[in-house]
Amino acid sequence: MVIVKRKELSFWERLYLPEVVRGLSVTMRAIFRRKITRQYPEEPLATNEVTRGQPRLAVNEDDTIRCVSCGLCEIACPAYAITIDGQETDRFIEREPERFDIDMLRCILCGFCEEACPKDAIFMSEELELADFSREALVYDIEKLKRPISALQRRSDYVYKLNDRWHSSSSTS
Amino acid sequence: MTTIQINGKDVEVDPKQPLIHALHTNGCDVPMYCYHPGLSPVGSCRICQVEVQQGEGPSRVVVSCRTPVADGMRVFPDSEKAHDVRRECLEFLLKNHPLDCPICDKAGECDLQDYSFAEGQGEGRSVEPRRKLEKRKSLGDVIVLDEERCILCSRCVRFMEEVPKTPQLTVADLGARSVIATFMDRPLTGKYQGNLADVCPVGALTLSAFRFQARVWNLTKTTGTCGECSRGCSVTTEVLRGGELKRFRPRYNADVNTWWMCDVGRFAIEEHSLEGRLVGALVRGSRELEPADPFDAIDRAADVFTAPGHPVVIASPWLTVEEGERLRDLAEALGSEVHFLSPPANDLADDLLHTGDPCPNRRGLEGLGFSPIDAEAALELLSGATSALICGERIGALLGEGLGELPEKLRLVVLDTMPLDVPAVRAELGVPSSIERTGTWINVDGHAGKLGIARSAPPGVAPLVQTLDDLVARLSTTATAGGER
Ligand code: SF4
Ligand code: SF4
Ligand code: SF4
Ligand code: FES
Repeated sequence: MVIVKRKELSFWERLYLPEVVRGLSVTMRAIFRRKITRQYPEEPLATNEVTRGQPRLAVNEDDTIRCVSCGLCEIACPAYAITIDGQETDRFIEREPERFDIDMLRCILCGFCEEACPKDAIFMSEELELADFSREALVYDIEKLKRPISALQRRSDYVYKLNDRWHSSSSTS
Repeated sequence: MTTIQINGKDVEVDPKQPLIHALHTNGCDVPMYCYHPGLSPVGSCRICQVEVQQGEGPSRVVVSCRTPVADGMRVFPDSEKAHDVRRECLEFLLKNHPLDCPICDKAGECDLQDYSFAEGQGEGRSVEPRRKLEKRKSLGDVIVLDEERCILCSRCVRFMEEVPKTPQLTVADLGARSVIATFMDRPLTGKYQGNLADVCPVGALTLSAFRFQARVWNLTKTTGTCGECSRGCSVTTEVLRGGELKRFRPRYNADVNTWWMCDVGRFAIEEHSLEGRLVGALVRGSRELEPADPFDAIDRAADVFTAPGHPVVIASPWLTVEEGERLRDLAEALGSEVHFLSPPANDLADDLLHTGDPCPNRRGLEGLGFSPIDAEAALELLSGATSALICGERIGALLGEGLGELPEKLRLVVLDTMPLDVPAVRAELGVPSSIERTGTWINVDGHAGKLGIARSAPPGVAPLVQTLDDLVARLSTTATAGGER
């Protein structure tokens, strides 16, 4: 237990009114300063390519999903948020996910899945908001995760650039 | 015994085995693709090369899978020269290999992937386009061939020639155009095709049944024993996320199955399906079978058995020795004889592994004093009795339709994996299937095969040993209390 000693008030302070005026003067000064409060959610957060929002699956222009259900993001995910089952397709790339679930409540937005993906199929989107009425609804299935690649383009370009930098600095041998 | 020197250390090795065997048994992980301990060596992939010096002469680089050991040989598997030649071989093997590990079913257990990861270079130097070949060529019902992934090690060709002795695969065409093929693209036949997917060191031959079913690193692997015939091949049971059984793979056992297993056992996956399993217990209410607490079901069973008369006891051939012992003790206490259901031999027998006898524990149960009886005789025995216990995995299915015609005066207690809804049943309890319990089966030659728990049984299903123990305990309290509850 800690006993907190009250500060002894001086006579001036005990007069009360001067202190009220001093407090109000702080308020008055702040009113005319530049406002820094953001009116969230009416005013959305500014994002840029470094923003690591929730992971989303990229869909090509021709409506095919890029993911081949290789499971690398699943094994890379430190939060065990991803569950994938594969299936066969008629496309040239023979495999695609039948089930692709990300438990958004587990996801820690670390971006490891994006980094692990050999197919540039999963990107950290700019979507940051997460709310629903049940836990089940926050386990996103493949339909909820699909995004056209145009929506992820900025991040995709950024990741390519990062990888290039990594390649040129590490392939010394 | 021959003495050779590996990395400057003297070791005793088996003179009948090639050098690679000596290296592997002494902790040197020399890679290999074309060599398989169960097949004749051909020395075609050259990835197993090591540096060897004999006497005072200059050292040479040799393929360790085709080199016999000789006294005084000095082997340097990790020397710079050995590494260099292996790395060069690897580069050639990868020259035409497609980079499709992300969709390849072998990824995670692929020798080519492992060794490329350990030793290979990050980037290829070749500028020529890779070979374009057929990527999903069906070789019958069991195997799919991806020609691009094949490294032409010819293990599959030799397997077909040497193990089931039904040569069907060959290396067709010449040089850079070589591919693995069957004659006139005929589908493969035989009961040992599944092993091709295991011998193929890369993902060229894969099982169509396992195609894209799971990533191998997500499978939990447990040692077990195959229960589809009395050979009892040692297997690895692989289960996805603690639930669905995805595949059986043979596990090396010199006394029983060496490296192989037959397709009958390999594809006995449905038998362990979780669908429709008897979970918990059922007892007969006024008319219908109703879900009940397992303890109530045991009480009910005890009531059935304390009625006058000797109950008929029939066990499933999948009962383990441990469970058989408990069941025999129970039967002894009840004054009954023990039988086990022995279906007639099927026509799957061959001279490699499959025995044609579907009872994996025939030797074990016979040794415990169980007498074999076929389904017809069992049903006859049951229809003449007033109470009976049928016990073990798949027993209801083995007895078949006839169970429905048993007289209602028969009071039947069932311990089975699947629910059984026939009028004679008074109480039934779920039991674990053979991938959900431990125990021992004795195979046709007297070798013990251990069962392993690859996944937990469905909730409410206790091990059979425990259920039988509970039943015995319950019966003995009934006896001391003079039949009162
Ligand atoms: S961002 Fe991190 S935690 Fe979220 S799914 Fe990807 S790997 Fe898992
Ligand atoms: S790593 Fe990429 S391609 Fe592989 S499963 Fe994840 S999203 Fe799909
Ligand atoms: S299919 Fe597999 S086992 Fe057969 S030659 Fe090709 S790589 Fe070897
Ligand atoms: S393993 Fe020795 S040459 Fe292929």
